[in-house]
Amino acid sequence: MRTLRSGLLLIAAVLVAAPTASAQDDELGGPPDEANAPGLRFNGLGRTLIQQTDLGGQLADADTTTAEALADGEFVLDLAVNAQPNRVTEVQGILRLRNEFGGFFGSGVTVEVRELWARGIVAGAIEYRVGDMDYALTPFTVFLPEADGVVNTPEAFVPLRERVAYEEFYTGRNERRLQGGRLDFGLAFDQLVDELDVRTFIARLRATDFLDTPTRLIGGGRLGATSAAFGPLASKVGLGVNLASTWDDLDSGDANEGIRNHVVTVDGDIGVVDRPAYAVAVVGEAGTSVAKFDEVLGEGQTRDPEAGPLLRETDTFFEVGIEADLKPSGVGVSARFVNIGPDFFSAAAQSKRVDFARRPGSFNRIGNERDLRPVGLFDLSRDAALYTFRVEDRLMQYDPRFNNTLPYGRATPNRRGVHLGVDYAPEGGPLDAELLVALLSEIRGQGTTELKDFALVRASADVPVAPLIGYGRDLAVSLGTQVESTSRGGGEFETVDLTSTLFEVGLVAEVYDRLDVLLGAKTRSSSGSDYVPQVENFNDVRDFPGRFVTDDRESLLAGGLRYRFRDDVYLTVQVQQFRYGDDATPEDDYRFDQVFALYTMSF
Amino acid sequence: MPRLSSPFRNVVAGLVLAVAVAGCDHVTDPDGPNLNDRFGPFRLVEPLAASSQTVDFAAGQSIVFTAQFNKQTDWVLEITGTQSGAVKRIEGFSRELTAENARWDGGTTDLPLFRAEPVTAALFFPSEAGSDTTRATTSATSIRSYPGEVVTGFEESDDATLFLGNFEFDFDLSLTGVNNDVPAAEGERFYRLRGTDNTLDNFFVGLLQITSPSADGYFAVPTTIPEDLFLNAFLYNFEAEFTIVILEVVADANGNGRFDDGTDTIIGSGDIRLDEPGWTAFSRSAADFGLTEAQASQIVAVRAVLISDNTAQPTSREPVDFGVDYITFTAGGPLQL
Repeated sequence: MRTLRSGLLLIAAVLVAAPTASAQDDELGGPPDEANAPGLRFNGLGRTLIQQTDLGGQLADADTTTAEALADGEFVLDLAVNAQPNRVTEVQGILRLRNEFGGFFGSGVTVEVRELWARGIVAGAIEYRVGDMDYALTPFTVFLPEADGVVNTPEAFVPLRERVAYEEFYTGRNERRLQGGRLDFGLAFDQLVDELDVRTFIARLRATDFLDTPTRLIGGGRLGATSAAFGPLASKVGLGVNLASTWDDLDSGDANEGIRNHVVTVDGDIGVVDRPAYAVAVVGEAGTSVAKFDEVLGEGQTRDPEAGPLLRETDTFFEVGIEADLKPSGVGVSARFVNIGPDFFSAAAQSKRVDFARRPGSFNRIGNERDLRPVGLFDLSRDAALYTFRVEDRLMQYDPRFNNTLPYGRATPNRRGVHLGVDYAPEGGPLDAELLVALLSEIRGQGTTELKDFALVRASADVPVAPLIGYGRDLAVSLGTQVESTSRGGGEFETVDLTSTLFEVGLVAEVYDRLDVLLGAKTRSSSGSDYVPQVENFNDVRDFPGRFVTDDRESLLAGGLRYRFRDDVYLTVQVQQFRYGDDATPEDDYRFDQVFALYTMSF
Repeated sequence: MPRLSSPFRNVVAGLVLAVAVAGCDHVTDPDGPNLNDRFGPFRLVEPLAASSQTVDFAAGQSIVFTAQFNKQTDWVLEITGTQSGAVKRIEGFSRELTAENARWDGGTTDLPLFRAEPVTAALFFPSEAGSDTTRATTSATSIRSYPGEVVTGFEESDDATLFLGNFEFDFDLSLTGVNNDVPAAEGERFYRLRGTDNTLDNFFVGLLQITSPSADGYFAVPTTIPEDLFLNAFLYNFEAEFTIVILEVVADANGNGRFDDGTDTIIGSGDIRLDEPGWTAFSRSAADFGLTEAQASQIVAVRAVLISDNTAQPTSREPVDFGVDYITFTAGGPLQL
């Protein structure tokens, strides 16, 4: 009763307190920069990539069908035209000119519009944006999970990864590229509630083909409130209600069946105490999802009784934990307990960056048998065609060698357990380091009543070596590792035991003014077996195609130079070597030797 | 330890309660096919067995076949009459055969119908390569009682209700008539019509007319509602390429209880072409024939007409040929084998 009374008081306070409207402000979706005078500006990006890749190894020695070398590349110019007719309105379009390496006189040349948007502020209070936008809510509603096969990318691999991120509109803030509109505004209060922010959006994920594929839309938003500091500990409470709905418009085209996926969550960030020496907060999010098919019947039509009811699944999740920040030492610790229901489905939060159903762009078939080559570190480090920002209507295919514990990010369904984290980043300290441990298990067995147990350890560190050894220029080492173990008991056909280790190390050393030496290495090894389900109907296991058995390893080594003309303008020339081997099939081991030059200019 | 304020405690308590409720309700039945079923080797735990050595289907008895294996898998139980060659096929996906999924009431999948005869049952597993077939035997002491009203089963060779209309002398009378050249679809005999349309170039070979033996001259029917009344017949394809069958129902138009050619209403099925060799079950509702309810109550004859596909025939006419057996009227749907 006291809880209810407190809640009513909070609502009443929101209603009676004199609000002050204000537009939200963030980096991409925020209002036009009022410091900039109205006018027309041009900026953009230019990029040139030329690369040659040679195929080697035992497989290539016996291979008489595959070309031994491939040379390719591209020239890209993205010209952004930014117009600000007044201080509260801004429009931008990016025109892309692209030429495939080897294309001449119009062959291989494409011209396309890469981006279009307009944004502004209405009445000095409501911010809007229409067109292309990048959007994220919470990890369980609208969110782009981190990529597979990456912990702490060595600097040598950063240029190609930046290219992937640019092509797929990855902003670094787990946002998805959408095309639609958003409307945000905030209210500031004098009492009890510090601020109230409202965010709404709607976007089209897919257009109808005017036949049986309906238009797919996504919409939702967030209502968030942050309290004023209260109590002797200067506590603060932040609460939010989030909605993300993905649905098919069955009035479009001739479609009569489509999906509905609604996710509603409540998140909280309760600052228990915030003192100069330390801060403690309780954080969490809980919610529910509905995933179902909907059907529209024509006049006089009735549903076939033998077809059964349309699928409808609902489930819940929660994540609750505590975060502590020991401010002077730069140490932060966190512990979270998670319980994500097996049928929890959130299309816009669980769709992956890497689509493992796609095939590599380079040497996708090798060997005399013309077998499809599985995606490896080589491809993940550079092949933008493997990546996506799209929202899928079912759990995407994943590769357990790269990510088996949380293949769909924090919203991975069917997980229960704890996440522990420690980060160390003192100001001016000797290193920045981070350690994450996840100890999880399934809630529902797949193909058995036995449950899988997952253990994941991710650690990364950036060590600025230069001050330690008295080197006068930049010299830094980066480390990253991920060790993952999956196990399950039971009978002969139920047991699972898969271990994967990913290791990254990199070095960047400025040897002359703006000239860097880049060295990097990534290795991955996996052994054991697991079952990777085929999924249908959002997240139901349709079948297990077979036991996934692996005893393989791969390595990606890089070395080269980078010259930084300016911060956003550089040229790098590198030699990289990739090796793949599997103990079960040593005759299929192969190698890529690659040399490339990449020039990138942001202006 | 600092003391938390009351509103703060309430907010925390509310959140804890909310997340606890949210996390308590998951469906935990295993997802996907059972792994042991999907990948384990197949092994027969208990071989096929019949629940009794004899079964009296006419008395409403049935027989249950049982077997057990170590995994869920596809199975096919094929029961074959040793004399008739009739086959009943029951298929399933399970770990065992029980009364729920392997009960046989004397019905048939592939014609002919079973007789009172010994039967063998074979259980095999199409998804399990190399698996053995397990067998059992039993004996049917009577045949199953099929619902509906029987027009004729052609068991009597001198049946007075049968009239062969060999009007153009096209029939091959050495083969036409009640016979057992091949196993009958039901019982011991069926009626065969074979001829060659080489007298007059007019498609028509001849017909078999069956009239009712009842006192009022009308066939007994289980219902007179045209949509519910079905005419059923088993037709045999002797693989005579140019054969066309027409089944006709004759409704008494003058109320005298007998067939009067030229007066009574003859309603045909249209051309029936027999594609598959052997016996085929044919069924059509009286409504599809075009009978009214009044006509359905006054059926005085059923006719099977042999037609030659004259436009497709070569210049030198080839024989046309079919068999017919067990003509019945059923209510509510086609005859269930």
